[in-house]
Amino acid sequence: MKKLVLASMSVAVLLFTGCSQKNPDVDMTTKNQKMEKVSNTNANGMNASNMDSNSMSSNSMAENNENAVKYLIANLESKLRPVNFDFDKYNIREDMKPVVASSATIWDGDKAQNLSVKLEGNCDEWGTDEYNYALGLKRAKSVKDALGARGVAVDRIMLVSYGESNPVCTEHTKACWAENRRVEFKLLP
Amino acid sequence: MIKKLLLLLFVTYSLFAYDATVEIVKKLDTLPKIAVQDASDSSEDIYLRKKFYKLLVGDLRVSAHFRPLDKYMTSSYSGGVGENFLSKESVDLILRFRLVTVGNSLIANVKLINASSGEVRNETNYKMQQRKRFPFLAHRIIVNTNDLIGAPSIKWMEQFVLFAKYTGKRESEIVVSDYTLSFQKTIVKGGLNIFPKWANKLQDAFYYTSYSGYLPTLYRVDLNSGERRKIITGKGMLVCSDVSNDGEKLLLTMAPQDQADIFLYDLRFKQLERITKYSGIDVNGNFIDNDKKIIFVPDRLGYPNIFSKKIGGHGGVEQMVYHGKNNNSVSAIDNYIVYSSREGESEFGNNVFNLYLISTKTDYIRQLTASGKNLYPRFAKDKDTILFIKHFKNQSSLGVIRLNSNKSFLFPLKVGKIQSIDW
Repeated sequence: MKKLVLASMSVAVLLFTGCSQKNPDVDMTTKNQKMEKVSNTNANGMNASNMDSNSMSSNSMAENNENAVKYLIANLESKLRPVNFDFDKYNIREDMKPVVASSATIWDGDKAQNLSVKLEGNCDEWGTDEYNYALGLKRAKSVKDALGARGVAVDRIMLVSYGESNPVCTEHTKACWAENRRVEFKLLP
Repeated sequence: MIKKLLLLLFVTYSLFAYDATVEIVKKLDTLPKIAVQDASDSSEDIYLRKKFYKLLVGDLRVSAHFRPLDKYMTSSYSGGVGENFLSKESVDLILRFRLVTVGNSLIANVKLINASSGEVRNETNYKMQQRKRFPFLAHRIIVNTNDLIGAPSIKWMEQFVLFAKYTGKRESEIVVSDYTLSFQKTIVKGGLNIFPKWANKLQDAFYYTSYSGYLPTLYRVDLNSGERRKIITGKGMLVCSDVSNDGEKLLLTMAPQDQADIFLYDLRFKQLERITKYSGIDVNGNFIDNDKKIIFVPDRLGYPNIFSKKIGGHGGVEQMVYHGKNNNSVSAIDNYIVYSSREGESEFGNNVFNLYLISTKTDYIRQLTASGKNLYPRFAKDKDTILFIKHFKNQSSLGVIRLNSNKSFLFPLKVGKIQSIDW
């Protein structure tokens, strides 16, 4: 039997304490829920102890107004069609110009005068994400510029890009990708 | 025997280390053959032991400095004649580990044995305070074993990977993991949280963009305290694309005038300086040349491509890549640039994105991938290793490319689609 040689053996103890905790657990949902909860508690407290009939009445009016605005927004949004784009492009296609024109008419009509609009740019799943976010934004800007050219007050418009994170269709088909390359109108009170 | 192997390894790497754009296929028989033995007590969790074994063998293979034997073997820790020589397997080295769980901690006793002489060349005892982080313990063992044979460092294996993954419509999570995804810890969830970026080399803080509020907002999270701090908000889009070497400056893609440009944000003085002023798209800024220049992705040619620009002054832009018609993700280290290029120019063409490596000092272009959608390449600190995202057949994976050995490895994500990565 060969003798095991233990020459040059070094023994060291390495202690893994230096690794960062890496567990701050930022929960955006939880935070939002907490905020909503606090707000509800305050409202309930007022209802229980401090409200007289006048404040109840004005509260009801405010609620009615709020509901009316929500209804108006839902009604107008149902008439606004998304503007679709070609692959890797942000110019407005000929077939989409009537969609923009129709949107401008609906959105700039009397009923919507007190509303703002958020133009949400979206992309298909192709491309690198950072470029896709920029492409989505350029698409939203193209629609904003087209609306401005039609006399719509652009200071009521804000833009945001969701890149490929907000698909309306999740199948991996050309028709689906074409549907996802779009700008949507979201009305804001 | 070991000395000969070391010499051979040294010569091999000396010969081929000069230009990573030149493709090298190294002969496998020059690498030491190594067996991994499990000497843990039978009372130790067998799932953990086998998983640990697989991690060690996987790391040895990814290192590209060993030829690991794919055979799970047990042994005693002290070792007998049969266990220390493994003459039937014709191996050069034996890596023997013994795992011991103590409360929440995990101890690993590890021996590196010369299988020709039976000599124990090194014995090291490791302790991981949190047992669930055992993949990092395995990576540390292989990094040290690699150092013991004198091969080029693979310390990148211990880098923490930070990635965002889409989990639903406008929903994503940010996760810290190891490079194999064996360890994963979700650290931000709820809403759309994207583009995480390490804040410094220590990897103890990171930036990310949240789309949960009225405007996209860049936050910094300190991993030790869990403190989250708002850095800046921006209309339209906001991405932290890179952090300077000293951690004091950020390259941001912002759109204050409704289109994406690149800005330099000084964290000390809270000052924002616009670097690019093009009316189209400018994104994906990366520091190069000791943070004096940037490379970035504009669509100035009518399609995305890679350009560079000096920070400050009135210098123009310089086109860096003259290949491809859709190059849209880039990172750089020293004089090397790696980017993703779409093969085909329309949605009806070939839906493949490949990675390419170029050097600013030569005209060579080296193709690094061949199929699927390969995106978001990121160099490791050693510039011999690239981490990237691969989407292939509805599966999202982390990929690792070892440039010198011309090998790549994939580590699939079970749930979700990887949005972006940093390490």
